[in-house]
Amino acid sequence: MEDQNPVKPQSMSPLSAFAERPGGVRFETQESKESVELFLRQHPIVNLGWLTTAAILLAVPYFALPILLRMLNITQYVPMGYIIVASAFWYLATFGFILTNFIHWFFNIYIVTNERIVDIDFYYLLYKHFSEADLSKIQDISYTSSGILPTMLDFGNVYIQTAAETPVLEFDKIPHPERVVQTIRMIRERGGAT
Amino acid sequence: MNDAALMSSAMTVVKILVIIGLVIYSFFAVIVVRQEQLMSHVLEESSETVLRILVKIHLLLSVALILLAFIIL
Repeated sequence: MEDQNPVKPQSMSPLSAFAERPGGVRFETQESKESVELFLRQHPIVNLGWLTTAAILLAVPYFALPILLRMLNITQYVPMGYIIVASAFWYLATFGFILTNFIHWFFNIYIVTNERIVDIDFYYLLYKHFSEADLSKIQDISYTSSGILPTMLDFGNVYIQTAAETPVLEFDKIPHPERVVQTIRMIRERGGAT
Repeated sequence: MNDAALMSSAMTVVKILVIIGLVIYSFFAVIVVRQEQLMSHVLEESSETVLRILVKIHLLLSVALILLAFIIL
């Protein structure tokens, strides 16, 4: 089929949450003739909560440890080796906390191809949920964007009702939900579903 | 058993517990590496190399901390 989409494939920023026809992106079950039209992640602002926690975790030893050492005179009871190992472990665990949260955001992705919609979710460690629906099976598509932050930063949820095995696909807190809905409608109208 | 011997035994137990805790954490670090590998298999993207390096650094640091605990505790 002739490609009527005017948007040319473009290189995608590594941390991009919204990309139209991104170059260099492939997913597990992608077929040879299938092209990625939209690549989505949750809006980066959703990371603010764990980033704040991480900043606090990083700052706590800097401020709290000298006070604890001075006030409780811990060095008198606890050998210095334990304090060093505990401090190192604190930073290592914080690094692990940052890594796991970032990985969770980075790999929770929504993809719209010229044939289907794919929702890949990773919950906790080693649990993957992959759901998809052909564009031809979409029955209804809607979006919500409510609240001060979503309105200001233009992000929200997109709900796609389908006749496929997964009745509703939800794109959670994605940037530009209106554009996503329009793009999916456009792909359907131009007969992207084969 | 005198106080010094009792204290020494207690510190040995604490040391063993700390090292067991660090070993458990390093298992977690291995799982994070495995998780990243699984996810990379699902999504092929150029920026994953940095992430792959970071999770391996995390694993190496967790193993290094076990060695450090063995040496200085």
